[in-house]
Amino acid sequence: MSKIKITIAVTGLNNTDNPGPGVPVIRSLKESELFDLRIIGLVYETLEPGIYMEGLCNKIFQIPYPSSGSDLLIERIEEIHQHEKIDVLIPNFDAELFSFMKNEERLLSKGIHTFLPTMKQFQERDKDRLPEFGKKYGVKVPESLNLGSMNQISEIKEKFEYPVMVKGKFYDAYMAYNPEQVKQAFNKISSKWGLPVIIQEFVKGTEVNVIALGDGHGNTIAAVPMRKQYITDKGKAWGGITLSDDKMLEITRSLIRKTNWKGGMELELIKTVEGDYYLIEINPRIPAWVYLAVGAGQNIPEALVRLALGEELAPMHSYHSGKMFVRYSYDIIVDLEKFETIAMKGEI
Amino acid sequence: MKITDEVRISDNGFVFNSKTGDSFNLNPTGLELIKLIAEGKDFNAIRDIFLARYDMEELRFEKDFYEFCALIKHHQITTVENPLDFK
Repeated sequence: MSKIKITIAVTGLNNTDNPGPGVPVIRSLKESELFDLRIIGLVYETLEPGIYMEGLCNKIFQIPYPSSGSDLLIERIEEIHQHEKIDVLIPNFDAELFSFMKNEERLLSKGIHTFLPTMKQFQERDKDRLPEFGKKYGVKVPESLNLGSMNQISEIKEKFEYPVMVKGKFYDAYMAYNPEQVKQAFNKISSKWGLPVIIQEFVKGTEVNVIALGDGHGNTIAAVPMRKQYITDKGKAWGGITLSDDKMLEITRSLIRKTNWKGGMELELIKTVEGDYYLIEINPRIPAWVYLAVGAGQNIPEALVRLALGEELAPMHSYHSGKMFVRYSYDIIVDLEKFETIAMKGEI
Repeated sequence: MKITDEVRISDNGFVFNSKTGDSFNLNPTGLELIKLIAEGKDFNAIRDIFLARYDMEELRFEKDFYEFCALIKHHQITTVENPLDFK
């Protein structure tokens, strides 16, 4: 069978201690036997490690942060597309998804395919709307309270027992045992991520995750559950193991069916000792541990690319449970010229 | 008492529960015990085997056996329909 010649642009090459999914997504695509690949790396920072990894990308371009305006970002992508003819674009950051979703049609009109959640799907699963999401789709979620100001901290004791989780709308989470600790967390989070700050009931149990891919018509094309075995101080998985848990798969399939989820996703769940599952977060993209799913038998990035190109896929059901990943850090020696080129020219 | 379907027991004493992701190391006695439980043997049968093989008092065996059973149940390695039923 001849391979499909394809150019794929990928963001999130920041394989740091808070790793983006770009590098594992590229590794997964390179393992596909279907594609004759050309990889375009898209980076925001000149020190994203993926830039310097030999053999990872064919070309790398620096792009402007979405905060500098969606139009600037999309115009830069279009400019790159003129030279590189991008077939599929896989964005891997939460913060950039909005811009790419908003411009999905514009990109497609130029021939750049994406496979992203719809705006409704993206917004519905926002952390500050999780209780409504849980109610609508029949999944248990922790009770929560959105704080618009510090004055509301006194309301916490009426609704919850301490400790509580204090979370940012996009990122960051702290456990607080009293109002004083809530105040500290509120200040840290609101200065970084804005308001509201979300107070979430603390659910005691084990954190488990599912990586999944929905085809946009209610079908779960792939799903692999995992438990973090080693967690960094930033809460990131540095080691994990695939699980054989029918209930987690059932929750995932039910959510994808009811929401008609389109694209990659990660469900973050807490499993209590009683065996109940509470959904604490949905990340609307492929997570950084995606390569574990590939190792376990489901190449999710390959399937995502095929869906983006309009193929219809049958769901993958099997995977190996008990497959582990262990992350490691590695020093790459870089010549100054390489750094200089990306810093000065914005491409390499 | 039944070993949970998702549990894998290696001959070297490594026990892995693929539902929870937990793994445990058993010593040779623990391995022997869990293998007998996995074979579906009840308390009386396992007690007779152990008393025949080892120089130990029956009461001591009973205490250690139930302690072991409580531990593996706590770690979801076994399922027991009636919590008082260890047979």
